[in-house]
Amino acid sequence: MRYYETLYIVNPNLENEALDITMGEIGTQLEKTKSKLINHRVWGKKRLAYQIENQKYGSFILLQFEGGEQDQMNEFNTWMKLNNSILRHMTVALDDKPEVYEEKVKEEPVEKEAPKGASEETPESDLEDEAVVETASDETETQPDVTEEESTEETETTEDVSDESSDEEIKEKEAK
Amino acid sequence: MAFQSRKKFCYFKENGIIDINYKDVKLLRRFVNDQGKIMPRRITGTSAKMHRKLVRAIKRSRSIALMPYVDLGSE
Repeated sequence: MRYYETLYIVNPNLENEALDITMGEIGTQLEKTKSKLINHRVWGKKRLAYQIENQKYGSFILLQFEGGEQDQMNEFNTWMKLNNSILRHMTVALDDKPEVYEEKVKEEPVEKEAPKGASEETPESDLEDEAVVETASDETETQPDVTEEESTEETETTEDVSDESSDEEIKEKEAK
Repeated sequence: MAFQSRKKFCYFKENGIIDINYKDVKLLRRFVNDQGKIMPRRITGTSAKMHRKLVRAIKRSRSIALMPYVDLGSE
């Protein structure tokens, strides 16, 4: 059997309980297709690249499963489309069997744990926002030569050596 | 010769990346211009094989609103 991954966007205004209920509904609906659930977890609230149903933000939820009966998958797709709390969904075939997401990390609010290949992007995407901000600020200081690589390096170093850099800043201020 | 352009290289082959995931927006952003258009291979230097994978990943992440179809910049 093939493995699939569905990424869907839920209305961000839903409360945690309502989100759990909709996730449960989706899980039961998917099990009707005789698919085996592997992972079903919240990826995080993100800014949408374009507005969907007048929403600027969305809660992204990742669902990985082993494929069931194909005829019933079409029904699942239409059900997902008709569900009002789901802004958009997309199913993609995976090459390999996805690793089971560890429960411990799921309970923690920190997304930067990166327990698995697919979820490694969450901290990177956070980094990217910082990089964009930094490059923008650099441009305002009329330094157009700052490349993407440099900006990413800056963010990495600042995160790794955050304590030391703060100390250095204090020293610099004292020197002034 | 007055001007010699820097040799282009495939970013993915250089970094040993085999698969491009559509959720990796930070990586995909490198291959898109400020309008959100996919940059041509002749400019990025990406190999043909990886460019096909790249294009598929970018289009997927567009359809799930991780990347813009059109980035007008100001909001």
